[in-house]
Amino acid sequence: MISYLGNFFIILSLIVSIISIIFFIINKKNEKIYFEVIYYINVRLVFLFITLAFCCLLLAYLLSDFTNLNVFFNSHTNKPLIYKFAGVWSNHEGSLLLWILIMSTYTFIFSFEKKINKKIINWTIFFQIIMIVGFLLFMILTSNPFTINPGNPNQGMGLNPILQDPALAIHPPLLYSGYVGYSLVLSMALSGLITDGIEKNWIQVIKKYSLFCWLMLTLGIGVGSFWAYYELGWGGWWFWDPVENASLMPWLAGIALIHSLQILNQNLLLKRWIIFLSILCFSLSLLGTFLVRSGILMSVHAFANDSSRGIFILLIFLVITGFSFLLFIIKTPTQNKATSLLEINKTSFLIINNIIMTIACFTVLLGTIYPLIIESITNERISVGAPYFNSTVLPILFPGLLLMAIAPALSWGKNELKNFILQIRILLIITLILMIIYILSNINLWGLIGLGLSFWIMISSIYQIYIKFLKNFNHRKFRTIISNNGSIIAHLGIGILILGITVSSVWKKEYIYNMKVGEIKTIQGYEIKLEEVKQFKVDNYETLKGKFILQQNNKKIATIVPEKRYYAVSKIVTTEAGILHQLKQDIYLIIGENNTDYWSVKIYQNPLVSFIWIGIFISFIGGLISLKR
Amino acid sequence: MMKKIIIILPLASTLLLFALMLFIILEERDSSKPPSALLNKQIPSFVTSDLLDSKNSFDQNITYKKNTVINFFASWCDPCKTEHSILMKIKKDFPNTFFIGINHKDKKNDALKFINELGNPYDKIGIDSGKIAMDFGVYGLPETFIINKNGIIVFSYVGPITKKIYNEKFKKFLSK
Repeated sequence: MISYLGNFFIILSLIVSIISIIFFIINKKNEKIYFEVIYYINVRLVFLFITLAFCCLLLAYLLSDFTNLNVFFNSHTNKPLIYKFAGVWSNHEGSLLLWILIMSTYTFIFSFEKKINKKIINWTIFFQIIMIVGFLLFMILTSNPFTINPGNPNQGMGLNPILQDPALAIHPPLLYSGYVGYSLVLSMALSGLITDGIEKNWIQVIKKYSLFCWLMLTLGIGVGSFWAYYELGWGGWWFWDPVENASLMPWLAGIALIHSLQILNQNLLLKRWIIFLSILCFSLSLLGTFLVRSGILMSVHAFANDSSRGIFILLIFLVITGFSFLLFIIKTPTQNKATSLLEINKTSFLIINNIIMTIACFTVLLGTIYPLIIESITNERISVGAPYFNSTVLPILFPGLLLMAIAPALSWGKNELKNFILQIRILLIITLILMIIYILSNINLWGLIGLGLSFWIMISSIYQIYIKFLKNFNHRKFRTIISNNGSIIAHLGIGILILGITVSSVWKKEYIYNMKVGEIKTIQGYEIKLEEVKQFKVDNYETLKGKFILQQNNKKIATIVPEKRYYAVSKIVTTEAGILHQLKQDIYLIIGENNTDYWSVKIYQNPLVSFIWIGIFISFIGGLISLKR
Repeated sequence: MMKKIIIILPLASTLLLFALMLFIILEERDSSKPPSALLNKQIPSFVTSDLLDSKNSFDQNITYKKNTVINFFASWCDPCKTEHSILMKIKKDFPNTFFIGINHKDKKNDALKFINELGNPYDKIGIDSGKIAMDFGVYGLPETFIINKNGIIVFSYVGPITKKIYNEKFKKFLSK
């Protein structure tokens, strides 16, 4: 019943969308008064119908309506409520509906935009609706979440237990808000090209949206990596997995975009570049979606059971990206004046940032698709993993990270070195100290470089905030100081992030023990005692909990409880790491198989790992402050 | 001139990437290759007890003079679930084909639940603790064999049967 209703709303939204497109094309020339009224009502109706369709699917999940095939495959009655909720977007079909919902939400909100002229808004909505139609067709033809179940079961297959986690419940909506939001940025860029309306207001609006998308993407990636850290039980948090790379590419392009929009804000330079980046962000989102959804990357793990899906997304990618870049050729904006890269000012630094981010982005892309190309040509399977990415992407980013510490302090047009001298001194002192440490000890070189970089960024950022604070303190304008320095705060966050990444990956310690109940093992600075191992049953899984006591000089400090869960419905065992979060280090425990009385136990000491998420969060806050301004 | 090239570059790389990806995705990842060692050989002998009627058992002679499909499956195997609708279709389209399911390393109750919920395309379901799969050289679940009227294995396929494979291979072999 609910499924029929859902189908009905989907079809309805498709029809209304198509009507809007036709209506826009007919009325493009002679803009009558009634035109806008009808056009806008139509657009908002599309949003309404898609929302209703989404609610139908939500309801089907909440009521465990197994006559819906999608619910049957991904839900189960004894699943906690929150995961029935999250089950909606835990699978291909449902997440596609979420994708379309978010797309139409952006369009809906954008339709209230007052700052820019109506012509651009109309065109932007036009492009959005075309894309919505594309995705609606994709959903209806290849992956309808409202398919009726041919059988009549009274129980579902259950949700993949590894996905039954609060972080992963909010991860897709966050990530999609970023990915899909870039479609609006692309539409705005196209309408800017067509109407030749790239001016100050356009820039302000597109800046707002692209910053917001980037923030959502940042938060989504952050939550995802945090989940990987405690759920997968590998002690790491980033694996250069193709799916992760798919989200990293638009993120890097997004960094380039928000920085290039800063330049335009000052003088209308480099329009072309902005348009290119605006198109690139969503194109990369689409490409990433294709790589992940078509199954071609996962060929080792799963059978690509339906290549028609992959072909469809690929076609969407071709139409959207191809058309955009074609328009880019036809209506390419004229460049105002050339700029010199050799001057030390903000503009040239931001351009360098852009070049670096773009190169890094394409390096990730190359590493991600390279195995596919090789496999299809030579029939050999190779894997490109962390060593490639670490040794290419990180050095590429390095000069950009060096510059970001001072860029915000520079002025726009002038070729100046005023504030710069003190900063150079700081950099030289840091380098000198590190070189001495390097010569005197046998410390890891990469660790040292990372440390130097992070301190350089943090010190410079704090110094800049401090200077501005001194200047303005008398005027009691604390709020203005903060609100004017969102970017510096974001940079500070990146500095903290680099510190966390460096220390936690270079100085992490790993121990593997076989432990009996009651046995005590020592790790650096602590002793760990296995107190007991217990087995019991929770709602929809059975669990085995190991209780470990963390001691220091025979004094109890904390209890850490790693788990292994067995989900009977899907017959899957998941690992829940037991983690003691401290600021200076995480103690990360995993309990494994048992051999008679002995339990295999893995212990990681991850120093400063929490700085990674603190850094991401501070960057997010910094971005939020810039957004509010 | 240089500027023109730069402007055309994004479109050119998009098209190139598209062509490349299309080539990769269309390239047949043919799961019937490498061919099973038993291809064009006599069906191996087996004896198994009937899942639906545990008192009875059957052996390879049951396939005598019939077009037969043997499908290895298990309730714990997710790709088997995706495959199931196409198995039902095979049964519907070729009612004269003898359809054997071999339930591989499964719990009896789970297997029965699987059949009850998704439907039963099989004429007979045998239970296998691993030996039958070994004799058939089963590589992974699901795996499907087509045996002609003379008891010769004419086709084998690893992985869920796709529409394409169904149209190209199953229709060809089963309508003989």
